[in-house]
Formats: sequence, C-alpha cells, structure tokens
Amino acid sequence: MSRSPTTPREQLKHPQLVAAFGFVPNLFDAQGQLPRAIEAEERLIDAVVVCENRLSRPQKESLLCGVANVRKSDYCRALFGNAHPAASPEDSAILRFALKLAKQGPFVSGNDVEVLRGAGFEDAAILEAVVTTALGQMLCTLAEGLRPAVDSGLTPPLPVSLPELPESLDWIETPGPYLRSPARAADNFQPYSFLREAYGFVPNLYRGQSLRPDLVEAEVHALAQVLLPEDLLSRIQKEQILLSLSAANLNTYYVAMRGQILSAMGVSLEESDQIIEDHHHSRIPAPDKTLLDETRKLACLPARSDRWFEAAPLRAVGFTQPQIVEAVVMSALANFLNTLQAGLGTVPDFPPRRVFTAKDLYPPSGQARPTSDGAIADDPDAALVARVQNGETDAFEELVRRHTRRIFGTLAGLVGNMDDARDATQDVFLKAFENLGRFQGRSKFSTWLTSIAINTGTDILRQRRPSEPLEEVDQDEGFRPRQIQSWADNPEQVLNASQRDKLVKEAVLRLPEKYRVAVLLRDINQISTEEAAAALELSVPALKARLLRGRLMLRERLAEHFIAPEKGTADA
Amino acid sequence: MLSCAEFLAEFGDYLEHAADPELRSRLEEHLHECKTCRVIVDSTRKTIRIVTDSECFTLSADAVEPIVAQVMSRIRESKR
Repeated sequence: MSRSPTTPREQLKHPQLVAAFGFVPNLFDAQGQLPRAIEAEERLIDAVVVCENRLSRPQKESLLCGVANVRKSDYCRALFGNAHPAASPEDSAILRFALKLAKQGPFVSGNDVEVLRGAGFEDAAILEAVVTTALGQMLCTLAEGLRPAVDSGLTPPLPVSLPELPESLDWIETPGPYLRSPARAADNFQPYSFLREAYGFVPNLYRGQSLRPDLVEAEVHALAQVLLPEDLLSRIQKEQILLSLSAANLNTYYVAMRGQILSAMGVSLEESDQIIEDHHHSRIPAPDKTLLDETRKLACLPARSDRWFEAAPLRAVGFTQPQIVEAVVMSALANFLNTLQAGLGTVPDFPPRRVFTAKDLYPPSGQARPTSDGAIADDPDAALVARVQNGETDAFEELVRRHTRRIFGTLAGLVGNMDDARDATQDVFLKAFENLGRFQGRSKFSTWLTSIAINTGTDILRQRRPSEPLEEVDQDEGFRPRQIQSWADNPEQVLNASQRDKLVKEAVLRLPEKYRVAVLLRDINQISTEEAAAALELSVPALKARLLRGRLMLRERLAEHFIAPEKGTADA
Repeated sequence: MLSCAEFLAEFGDYLEHAADPELRSRLEEHLHECKTCRVIVDSTRKTIRIVTDSECFTLSADAVEPIVAQVMSRIRESKR
C-alpha cells in the first residue's frame, strides 16, 4: 500500500489508519462529521488488513487492489497502489476468487471455495480472502459516495491486467455454509451477547466466522457504531437502506434478515416486500424514497445502473450533510455485509420470502439482456467512449459535438431558460467526462447522457423551489379530456411557425415534470420509447402511460388555438 | 365494447400505429361508434405533429461549436 509522510497529530488520532496506509487518507477526512464511523472502519481495517494471519499483507493488498479495479475506483486504485502481481498459482487462485466475489457475488458458489481448497488454502485463509474482498467493497463504496480527492502525492496506476473470469456464468446453487470449521465461540462471547440484545438472535453470518473472533468483534462493533445510533438517520431509514441495497445485490440472506428485523420494528413484511421490488410504490415518506433512489446506486453488483450517487437530490429533500455521509457509510456497510455473506454462503436465519435467482439479473421491461461483458452491442458511440476511457481525452470532443443539441433540447424543455440550459449542457458533459470510468456500456452512451441531463435539469428545478414551483399540482387523478371539438384539418396553417413555437413552449413548460420529461424525450428529442424508458429508469409501459398523459394535457392546452370553428361540438 | 374511459387508457400505442391487431380492432370498434373519441384521436395526433415539428427548444447549429470548445477547455484545464 502507498506510504507518504504524515503528521504526528494524525498518527496520534488514527494510529490504525497510519499503520495501514502510512497516513490518514482523504477518504476518512471526508467522514469527519461522523467520527464513530471512522473509528469503526479503522477497527475493521486493523483486523482485516494489518493483522497478519493466514494470508500475508501483500496477498491481501493484491485482493484490495483487484476489487478497486473491478469497481473502477480511481481513488482506491491510487490508495492501494499497484497490486503485487500474483506470484504463484495459489496467489492467482485466490485473486481470481476475490475478483469473482467482487464482480459477480451472487454467482459465487461452494465450487469456487472448493477450488481454493484444492489450491491448498485452509478455511481460515478463505475466510480472510472473503473479508478482505468485503472490506475492499466497503472502501470503494465510501469513495464512490464521498468522492474524496486523490491523496496528495498519489496517482492512480494504469489499469492492471487481472486474471480473466469465465465468459459464461452459471448461477450454481450449492448448499452453504461453505466453510466447514465448527463454531468455537462460546455463547457468552461478548459480540454474541450484543447481537442477542440488538436483534434477539445471533445471525448465522457471525457464527460462521468463529474461527476469527477478532473479525467478529470488529464487524459487530461496526454495526454498533453505524447501524444502531439514531442521532442522524433513524434506525428504520438505515435498515431500509440495508434492505434495498441487499435486494439490488440479489442477496437472499440479507433481504430475509432485514425484512424480519424491520417487521420487529413495526414495518410490515408486505411493506418490506414493496421496498425490495420497487420502493417508489411503497408507502414510505417521499424523502426516504429519494434516500433509497440514491443509495441504491451504490450497490456493489456492478452496473445494474450506470448512474452514480449524488448528494444534491438528498439535500433538496432536506437531508443534512452529516446524514448524507451516514447514508453513504450505511451503504458501504451493506455492501460489506452482502459480500461477506456471498463469499461464505451463509444460510438464511429465516425462511426467505424472496429468493433471488439468475432471472433477477435481467430486468423484465424488455431491455436488452447484457452480453457477457455487459456492453450494448450496437452503440454508435462505443468506440469513442472506449478511447476516452483509455485516456484519450481529445476523443471526448466528438462525443460532445454529437450530442450537444439533443442534451440542450432536453435541458431547455426542463428548465425553460435558454441561458440556464446552455450552462447546464456544459455541466452535463463535464459530469459525463468525470464519471466515464464508471460507464460500463449497459445502456447506450446517449441514454446514459440523457439520464445525466434529466438529473441535472431536475436538480436545477429543485433548487428553484419554493420560488418557482414545479406545477406538480396534481392533475394526475381524474384527468379527463375536456376539449372535444374537432381541430382544423391543417392546424399548421392556422398559426405561423414562430407563433406555434411560442405556444408549444408555454404548454410544454406548464406540464407537470414527470409528463414533461416523457414528452421531451419522445416528441421533442424523438428518441425511442425503449431508450426514453431506460434513461428515466422506468418500465416501457410506465413511460408510455406518462407520455400519453403528457400528450393529452398538451392537446388540451393547444386546442383553443386550433379548433375548426365550422365543425362545432362533437356529440358527446 | 370498450367504454370511453377504457379507450382513453389504452389508445397510446394506437396513436403511433403500434397497437397489436387484437387491441386495434377493439379500439376501432369503439371509434366507429364514438365521435368524441374520434376527435380526441385526431387532435392528439395533430398535437404530436405540432410538438414534434416545433423548434422551440432547438439550439441553433452555430451555437454548438462554442459549447464544445468551452467544455473541452474546462476539461483540459482540470487535467493540468
């Protein structure tokens, strides 16, 4: 791991971080408003990385670096430095296992663990590999959510060549748990007592790690410091983040456990089921839906979405900066726990109401099933995107040129003001450039760019509140067409182009936001229904419903200008 | 036969000539009998045409290059 000089004050404050990294990384400074989280992370890092047991420190650093590469985290790649190349077949086997766990956690099975045993690893070493990978996921999630600057003096190394994972993956169900070691911790083991007090039972996940009581202690300490306090986010909000992220990570074990825990806290199992399937349709408060919208983007199962976590929507609905930091920390802990369970094959503590299978990897809305590397095959921008991702900044210029007018059109239709739209167009491309490393081609580049534009435009509208309400007055329920008179055969001849443009602009800007966006994408920008649905993360039927409503509302507003006077009223 | 409310909930694909044959036949059966819905279909199609042809949110072609130049300049500056 990279080392650089540090001040005596830092050494005093965070000795374990200094022992692990040689200094206090910006990642932890970014959590300065949440010292209890830093302390929990420090203790985990000490137990997992610093304490040498069956795996050597270089072996563990190699796994951490592999996870950072899988997650495309420039910050963590710089922090972990160049991985020590797998020096032996054993090192190579354990790195391949960690990469699969980090990239395709739900596909890990007992067979993968058997491969490690075949390479000579004992259960204690396998446990260390799993926990180290989980820690890597946690640190990458923190970096993704908090976006600290790369630490002074460090630069991300060039992407390393990692062992290849098989092209075709099979979802193999093998009975867990994968480690055979018998439980050794006594029932009065302090962390067990704590878990019994907090949950009413000791989850199998912790019993399965009894080979390393120090790891269990550090993990339970992290729960105590991050999940249980209620000074910022409430316990229920944090449990819901854990539930929602576990669903995004297709983790049957954690979905079953958190559903039960929420049930004990008064949240019905049906409500939890709704959060698992689509929290937008649950009855949780609107700000909490935004909280789940954003934190779900931090899921560790890669590229279920090419979108990234943003703090602005959370601020817009009233979350404070310390609460936002805690939401990121909670998401990081969720990814840590999910990865741990996937690697250990822990059996559920409760009969699961929802069992995830390979089918859940592919959304039901008719979106193209990803190819083995997850890329959309016919994206005309793919070659340019790849060049930019390989460091050729100039190639981005052509992408900007290709998409400027469409992105401007979307933003102008959202924010109304042409100057604001011009500035926001630049911001969209800057955000896209900054985050292109995360774009994995699971949608077209143009779709991804459109989704950035919609988020950017929506943020601008939110910032204008309350001085400029979004006209979300609900015309949803009970909307019925009122204008039922025939229109002129050629309405284009009734008004000239400039008059029509003025009318259309006013009518579009008066539409409630959700209908306006659908009309903008389909009718103004003329992108396909499927792409518009993907950009808005909606199913195709949901997009069609919004589009029809938006078109009918527009019709209503334009009607008085285009009615054919001689045709009179229809027989209603 | 479909009621007007059912027709209005279902005619989105029909507007774009994309309804499946079975749905199209049920919608047309309703349209044959209902002048109000015929007017709504006709005027909604005209609405789409007017909105689609509108250039109210269009950036003029000569405004593209200045934006491209500004974006690239900001990117190159940030990489220094």
